[in-house]
Amino acid sequence: MAFSTTVSQRKHIKRKAPRGFLKHVFKRQKPHLRLETSGDLLVHLNCLLFVRRLAEESRMNAFESKCGVIKKEHVQAAAKVILKKSRG
Amino acid sequence: MAEAMAESYNRDSEPTTRTLLRRVLDTADTRTPRRRRSARVRRLSSPTKMNVRRRSHRARSIGRLAHVHTSGNLEEQTPRTLLKNILLTAPESSVMMPESVVKPVPTPQVVQSSRRESSRGSLELQLPELEPPTTLALGLLAPGRRKQRQRLSVFQQGMDQGLPLSQEPRGNGSASSLTSSLNLTFATPLQPQSVQRPGLARRPPTRRAVDVGAFLQDLRDTSLALASPGDSLRTPVATLPTDTVLEDTQPFSQPLIGRSPSVYHSLPCLSHTEAEDAERAVSHRIQSSGPRLQNHNPGKPTQLLAGKAKKVDALAVSFPNNSSAVSGEDGVEPLQDGVGEEAEERMEESLSVSKVMATTGTQGSVRMEKSKGHREMTEAAEAKEPEGSSGASPELASSTTEFLQARQPQFLEPAPPPSTAVLSSEPLEPLSTRLPPRARTPGPRARTPGPRPRQDPHKTGLSHYVKLFSFYAKMPMEKAALEMVEKCLFYPNPFGSLDKYFQHLCDDLEVFAAHAGRKTVRPEDLELLMRRQGLVNDQVSLHVLVERHLPLEYRQLLIPCAFSGNSVFPAQ
Repeated sequence: MAFSTTVSQRKHIKRKAPRGFLKHVFKRQKPHLRLETSGDLLVHLNCLLFVRRLAEESRMNAFESKCGVIKKEHVQAAAKVILKKSRG
Repeated sequence: MAEAMAESYNRDSEPTTRTLLRRVLDTADTRTPRRRRSARVRRLSSPTKMNVRRRSHRARSIGRLAHVHTSGNLEEQTPRTLLKNILLTAPESSVMMPESVVKPVPTPQVVQSSRRESSRGSLELQLPELEPPTTLALGLLAPGRRKQRQRLSVFQQGMDQGLPLSQEPRGNGSASSLTSSLNLTFATPLQPQSVQRPGLARRPPTRRAVDVGAFLQDLRDTSLALASPGDSLRTPVATLPTDTVLEDTQPFSQPLIGRSPSVYHSLPCLSHTEAEDAERAVSHRIQSSGPRLQNHNPGKPTQLLAGKAKKVDALAVSFPNNSSAVSGEDGVEPLQDGVGEEAEERMEESLSVSKVMATTGTQGSVRMEKSKGHREMTEAAEAKEPEGSSGASPELASSTTEFLQARQPQFLEPAPPPSTAVLSSEPLEPLSTRLPPRARTPGPRARTPGPRPRQDPHKTGLSHYVKLFSFYAKMPMEKAALEMVEKCLFYPNPFGSLDKYFQHLCDDLEVFAAHAGRKTVRPEDLELLMRRQGLVNDQVSLHVLVERHLPLEYRQLLIPCAFSGNSVFPAQ
């Protein structure tokens, strides 16, 4: 007996992935390409990890500048580093 | 025997733990007369002889066998070590407590009372009663970790024996019952402690020096409270698994009315103090009116809302009815007057509806205030999505029901601020982290209804990740910082060819798919991408990442798993 591909209505998934959003974005960027069903979940995973890394990096930047608040500059510097890392 | 009694009476004047212990040892072993100072030498020789003889008598008192081990350096050893030895060596002694802290008082108590009754006889009388627990204690000689679990079963059995006994007051001549009950009672307080604090369950409790007076006090307290720990043991254990699951932060929750039951359910999952506070607060405040509610927690919401005064006015216009109703009822005083006026105006519009929302809101708000740290993202998510849906209708006075449904999850969140419904979820966040996205949603809404369908789901999707960012950061953030995050996620950098994350992603996926001669991007391409990014390596596989970061439902879709009937899902 295999699981159904759809989640029953009663099930409440925490931290849902915005699958529609991701598909939409991908379609807009690359209309000639198709994205598989499970593919967008992995894209969501990738986004989660990216955002996590970004947050940690900007948090470190804020610590280094002895700030209690994350500021724009911290995020900017962090974004540079992490985007470079995630270039692949 | 008379000598021993004399000796013990001598020591009555010095009620230190050490002396109490000595009393135990002395009264148990009546053959060797002991002087406190000369005890050292004689104990070395005498206990060994006596030990052999005494081992044959199981009915001997507890401390006797301890002589073998404790005799050596009684002066140097602490009462704790003495008792530990006693516990470890004596097979018939109840080894329920790893801490010898427990022991000094009950045994001296036993000893004292027994002495009054003519010690030998009473001790021997006590011993048969002690035997049942000691037989149980035999199994407790296992290492410390198992002791905690076994102690429960032993406690239960001991409860049956100890309960009828423990009711009798001390010094009633039922020293034996006291001992057994005491032995068992002392088992219990530690158990609930460790169970109530699951994170410390495995850690041996920290040991302090014994303060006899305080210990006696605790002794009395715990002996009286025998019944309650048995029940409370259950509930902490029950909430343990839920704690870990539901305390887990939920950045994205369904913006449905059905959310409210989950909010109710999440109450027990809060930490004990939080849950108790929240429940108490809820029970109190459900009856209390809104203003009182607000006055109870003026600090937090006022602080949080103080910085959002400007935004409040701008946003207040867009949110009628419910926000105003709740806000109007709640303490308008803590907030600014301008906001309060607007709220009052709106309050007049739909008072009845707002009352419904107010009650739910107050309930939810009280609860959420307590669980602030956990709820941050949830409220953010909930407030976001209803805002997105409500933003769809450009008119402010659109159907009340729609707004009701949209607002209800919001009102489940903490302290509905007086001014706006939006701020009902805002107080939870340390800063107005969600204001920038929210500020943007009224913007396009106000401009044209045309791009609305395109932008709003887009915005909510993006804000999803922005909220995640503020959650992962664990620190307060500026609005500008959040805007920055959004920019770096999606919008192309106007200053250079530096494309942003999503565009990078799509480009890479296209390249990989083309490399494989496909026009469809498949999970293998995603894995390759993550490998190139360094997220997946030989140590960490993709499945590990899926397990860690994705919810179970997605994991089931992604990771193939074998099922009965020789089937694998998802099919490969």
